[in-house]
Amino acid sequence: MLEMRKELPEIFDSFAEARQKGFLAMKKIKEEGKGVVGQFCTYTPLEIFMAAGLVNVGLCSTSDETIAEAEKVLPGNLCPLIKSSYGFAITDKCPYMYFSDLVVGETTCDGKIKMYELLAQIKNLHILELPRKQNTEEAFALWRAEIIRLKERVEKDFGVTITDDMLKEAIRKRNVERRLLKEIYELSAMTPPPVSGLKQLQILFGSQFKFDWDEKVAELQQAIDSIKAAYAAGERPISDKAPRILITGCPMGGVTEKVVKVIEEAGAVVVVYENCTGAKQMDRQCQEEGDPISNIARHYLQIGCAVMTPDTNRLELLDRLCEQFKVDGVVEMTLQSCHPYSIEAYTIKTHLQKKGIPYLHLETDYSTADIGQLATRAGAFLEML
Amino acid sequence: MAGPANLAGQAITAGIDCGSAACKGVLMRGGAIIAKAVRPTGWNPRETAEGLLRELLLQGGLAGEAAASSGEPLPLPSPDKEALEQAGITVVATGYGRVAIPFAARTVTEITCHSRGAEYLLPGVGTVIDIGGQDSKAISLHNGKVLAFQMNDKCAAGTGRFLEMSAARMGVTLAELDGLLQSGESCRLSSMCAVFADSEIVSLLAAGKSRQEVAGGVIDAVAGRAAALAARVEVRPPLLLTGGLGELEGLRKALAAQLSCRVETSPLSRFAGAIGAALS
Repeated sequence: MLEMRKELPEIFDSFAEARQKGFLAMKKIKEEGKGVVGQFCTYTPLEIFMAAGLVNVGLCSTSDETIAEAEKVLPGNLCPLIKSSYGFAITDKCPYMYFSDLVVGETTCDGKIKMYELLAQIKNLHILELPRKQNTEEAFALWRAEIIRLKERVEKDFGVTITDDMLKEAIRKRNVERRLLKEIYELSAMTPPPVSGLKQLQILFGSQFKFDWDEKVAELQQAIDSIKAAYAAGERPISDKAPRILITGCPMGGVTEKVVKVIEEAGAVVVVYENCTGAKQMDRQCQEEGDPISNIARHYLQIGCAVMTPDTNRLELLDRLCEQFKVDGVVEMTLQSCHPYSIEAYTIKTHLQKKGIPYLHLETDYSTADIGQLATRAGAFLEML
Repeated sequence: MAGPANLAGQAITAGIDCGSAACKGVLMRGGAIIAKAVRPTGWNPRETAEGLLRELLLQGGLAGEAAASSGEPLPLPSPDKEALEQAGITVVATGYGRVAIPFAARTVTEITCHSRGAEYLLPGVGTVIDIGGQDSKAISLHNGKVLAFQMNDKCAAGTGRFLEMSAARMGVTLAELDGLLQSGESCRLSSMCAVFADSEIVSLLAAGKSRQEVAGGVIDAVAGRAAALAARVEVRPPLLLTGGLGELEGLRKALAAQLSCRVETSPLSRFAGAIGAALS
């Protein structure tokens, strides 16, 4: 299957449709008797599941289909990601949630913590206690212990033993993935970028629904080669005049692609994503030498996110990406009622103001009702650049 | 083909600001306004804009008898891009209905247009507040160029619609509402939601509050929302209140009190967006 070369449009489609197509792949995986772990957050150390030979899948929902159902239990003024994820769980409408033998949540924001308590009534759930500080010994010790506790839970639930060597191999494989995904988004550091921000997002988002590691890695490499070849052959799908936008904020994908669409339809191009779907999880490699548990703990704890205080790592990555990708403006997308990101938006705004980088904050939800308003804001922002 | 623009030696631009409540238009030649018109947007923004353009061209002597006698081509009655172009007339559209105007040569967002229009009406303006039919916006600008903006457009609180609805509840027009504000009386409206405020107004009136007091409360609520929006972009004088509500003296006073800053207006405030479009 690896020798099957795909043309560029086909590769793009393959990632864009990965989430839908993955449903069938997942069903097959289950029929083969493999264990499945569903996770929500970028802080979840996937290496533990990979080491155990389990398949992992992201459960953060990106559609408003089940929000009405969720609101029978959850308050209306709660972030749509939480409502939608819970809604899919209680309605059995998300095959990934349905097939997950174990669901791993984490103590990130208040809304999620409380939602997980309700989710635990219907799913086999494990909660990781994530510290809110990143640079104290106590935080590291707690997080390291939490990684061990997760490993033990997986060992118990799936009847496996996870050795250090297995973990080391998993770290190596995850690093390969991180490196390839980083290589893909770094192609857009070129002027003009070789792909639109929408295509880039679809690859980054879609890659998490490719469950065969060897196939995924081969396909990512193929995507890189094909994009490079097309660029070398002179293909320029994006104008070199298009203003270059960095998107930061809450996780993206699915319906929130609308934000990327309004920006690109107004004539700009999104070159990089400083969020969970983008650079955040691919930017750094996990250390391979030494105690794998400590390496995993150290790696994940340093991810920048508004749930951390102070969130200096987010600013550091943001600054680096603004420079590397020569961005003309930053657009922050926050989901309605996401307190950590909505409040931190002010910090981001003032931080960028000092550097003279234009900033636009867009708040949205999982409906499509606000596309006109988003388009006006994005349009005005670009006219301002 | 010699169009009117060629005769005059100056390009003619029409700016159409198709908002949710009203459709405003101006015709400009060489930086001067030669015609202006406004009409309710209604349910069909395309037809409304078409009628508005026809009115502008008639007023400006570019259509109808005046134009016909001078032998100029008539771009009307069915305005399309090509006919307008031949006549030397460029239409630029803004506002929520901008995408529904097929004969516009281009569209520009209302943020940019209000800034350019405000700079035209009040050179050196530093802050613009526009309270529109379905949104409010605050813009910080320099030399007519947008530095930052904030919009409130997901909820009716603090919009022109909210004001209109409150006036209707009290049985007065917007102009009469302004008259009620002369007394300077006010009572507090605790609800920020337009729907709940509506029922609160009923309760307040039933509880014996005067219309003057309730009107004061309504205006304070709208001004408070606009002031909070403006604070997010940093208020620098001079500040111009654009849009149709610029005509309400009571609103300007309430805004000035909330912002501790003089609030300017212009007889052409309502046309700021359309002027900005014509200049784009």
